[in-house]
Amino acid sequence: MAVAEKPVISISGLWMNYSDRMVLRGIDLEVYPGQIIGYIGPNGAGKSTTVKIMLGLVEGYNGTVEIFGKDIADGDNTYKRRIGYVPEVAELYDSLTAREYLCFIGELYGMKRSDADDKAKRLTTLLGLEKAYDMRISSFSKGMKQKVLLISSMLHDPDILFLDEPLSGLDANSVMVVKEIFASLAARGKTIFYSSHIMDVVEKISSRIVLIAGGDIVADGSFAELKDQSREGSLEEIFNQLTGFDKYRDIAGEFVTIIQEGAADE
Amino acid sequence: MNDFRVLKLLDRLEGLFCRAGIDYGVMRSILQVKLTMDGRRAPTVLAATQRSAEPKEGSPFRPQWVYLIMGTFLIPLIIPSGHYMLQMSLVLGVVMFMITTTLVSDFSSVLLDLRDKNILFSKPVNRRTLNMAKNIHVLIYLFTLTLSLAGPTLIVSLFRQGPLFFLLYCVAIVLMNCFILVITGFLYLLILKLFDGERLKDIINYVQIVLMIAITVGYQLISRLFNLAEFSASFIPAWWQYLIPPVWFAAPFELAFGGGRGIHFSVLSGLAIILPLLLIIIYIKLMPQFEKSLQKLSAQEVGGREAARLSGWLSTVVCRSREEGMFFRFTWSMMKTERDFKLKVYPTLGFSIVFPFIFILNMIWLGDGGGIGNSKTYLFIYFSATLMMTVVQMLRYSGSYKGAWIYKVIPLPGDHTVYRGMLKAALLRLFVPVFLAEAVVFTVLYGVRILPDLVVVLFANFIYAVLCFLLLPRSLPFSERFEAAKQKEFTGSSFLMLFLLIGMVGLHYLATLLTGGVYIYLVLLAVGNYLLWRRTFPEGKRTKPSGMSNMDIF
Repeated sequence: MAVAEKPVISISGLWMNYSDRMVLRGIDLEVYPGQIIGYIGPNGAGKSTTVKIMLGLVEGYNGTVEIFGKDIADGDNTYKRRIGYVPEVAELYDSLTAREYLCFIGELYGMKRSDADDKAKRLTTLLGLEKAYDMRISSFSKGMKQKVLLISSMLHDPDILFLDEPLSGLDANSVMVVKEIFASLAARGKTIFYSSHIMDVVEKISSRIVLIAGGDIVADGSFAELKDQSREGSLEEIFNQLTGFDKYRDIAGEFVTIIQEGAADE
Repeated sequence: MNDFRVLKLLDRLEGLFCRAGIDYGVMRSILQVKLTMDGRRAPTVLAATQRSAEPKEGSPFRPQWVYLIMGTFLIPLIIPSGHYMLQMSLVLGVVMFMITTTLVSDFSSVLLDLRDKNILFSKPVNRRTLNMAKNIHVLIYLFTLTLSLAGPTLIVSLFRQGPLFFLLYCVAIVLMNCFILVITGFLYLLILKLFDGERLKDIINYVQIVLMIAITVGYQLISRLFNLAEFSASFIPAWWQYLIPPVWFAAPFELAFGGGRGIHFSVLSGLAIILPLLLIIIYIKLMPQFEKSLQKLSAQEVGGREAARLSGWLSTVVCRSREEGMFFRFTWSMMKTERDFKLKVYPTLGFSIVFPFIFILNMIWLGDGGGIGNSKTYLFIYFSATLMMTVVQMLRYSGSYKGAWIYKVIPLPGDHTVYRGMLKAALLRLFVPVFLAEAVVFTVLYGVRILPDLVVVLFANFIYAVLCFLLLPRSLPFSERFEAAKQKEFTGSSFLMLFLLIGMVGLHYLATLLTGGVYIYLVLLAVGNYLLWRRTFPEGKRTKPSGMSNMDIF
């Protein structure tokens, strides 16, 4: 890890509260080029909020967020040109065709329409969508939509990628391709900020894992480091341990009992 | 993706936009995408035209043909000279009515598109460009809409009334558009300020109903401006005219070309000019507020518990079996929460509340109101049943029609049970409350003597609901998508249902002619209800619903 380099993302003292609850309580985080950060935590821990703050989608936070060495609150949003984003729910203008959507996104990132079209066409072909390129996205399956989203986030060759559950809906083969894409992008100095609930994947592809719970960072380090600290075998178990969750057997047992209660009513 | 002509026109103004600090290229592509998407959207008012239009690449302006035809119907109003106040109030009233309702029903979904936030805000696009794109989008929409509605009359007025009239007409329309835009904008702003999350979207629904009612009543009032009964079309000033915007905009015409003089016309004309301008200035000032409040739309509410006690209790009272109760509660809660359903049905709800009263008012105004207390005009309450027509028609559709796989997966207890529960829920949740509210007002108007008649109407409407159900092709509740609404299929049966309703009014009228006839009729209806409901929904038998085949969910 090249610590001498300047961080691409640097967050300090990040607090955020929605009207009724605290979501983030003082996050401090520095991310360096070439890292694949696995950003994990239980539901509602504040993962998506952190990412949305960095993208300028959520305002009203306390603390400073610097990306590429510049404070994002200074009103200049040119930094977004070097960022790609895959949101957690597949949100896109699905009455457009894949070609129309991808060209549009390319243009928003300042690419020329013809360049975006050419690049998008080749990328979709690689992911096996060439026949669907001129079809409306609303007719796509979940996996196909996800591929379109992934392509739209990388079309403009960004330096940082924010990915929220990027593999959802993809089949096993596509997952392998996409994981390999992430790895080689990182090898070329791109930064990937990856949040997911699927621990196996996070464990395998992340070079550094950041675990947040209750709005705080509770663990930060490579998988090997986390393993040493907690003496647990898999990331899933580390996750359980660090988030203070040890009752899964009890809950599952009770769940099954309830299922069996009222079934034979007739 | 089409290259729209409007955009080519906009290209001429590129320099202007750039000087205002707007990234023109980006704004242009946002507009292009938005316009393309509009073309692929089914407008609520004109869903019927959508089916034939679907395969072709859409232009957002195609539905505007219908408005163009409507605009042509306005031409006779602009040809005569002399009664400018009447003519222009009517013309502008129609235009304003159509524009406002379309803006509210169709365009709110565009204005409040939540995907914009995630897709556009995460890109390097500055806010000013985004706002400008949004404003121009609305303007283009408003402009084409107005032009197709007012276009025919505009052209005719140029030749018939001269260029000065034409110019004044143009100015009046522009001012009126500003007014409509700002008023709708303020309305949304107010709602956004007061509510958030899911509830907000529901509130918007209610506002749409209120707006529909207000506009319908207002439109009725315009024709009351003039003493039409005496065919003199003379204009009688009155205080409430200040409350009807089309009258303001008509006043300058009377002032400039007609014989109208006096403080009354000057004040109205003044309102027409000053108010829109003043409002638009305030609106621009408040624009950033609007954007901020818009973010609340996606905010999730910290869930409250749905109180299902009422429907639970009702289902045990009115349903005969457990399965029927199950579908009663299902339909009940779906009608309560399904937004698309509400969007389609609630405007009719508004109309069916207002219609009976409008008929009665008409009678009174036409000088027939000598003794409404003794007349039989209360039979107009039957027209509240137009609601049933729409509801029964719409119950099959849902925005989340894909959820209908559940019908195929669970062991369904004979579909008659489903339909019976569904129809009962629709009656009790939508029709009965509306009817009761009207019945109270009618009782105040006509006196206690009509109470037996009202009971008859209620029973008759229960029969009517089943007849509606029988006439329409049946399909499981909430199992088809809205776009697939084959409205043409319905126009025939809609007329049939309307005639049926009129027939029922006739029967009731005949019954009132006999002494005690109402009570005999009531007994007949009660028996009829019992038999009809039994016959239509026999217990436990299972037949294949004919609508099942076009349940295109897989």
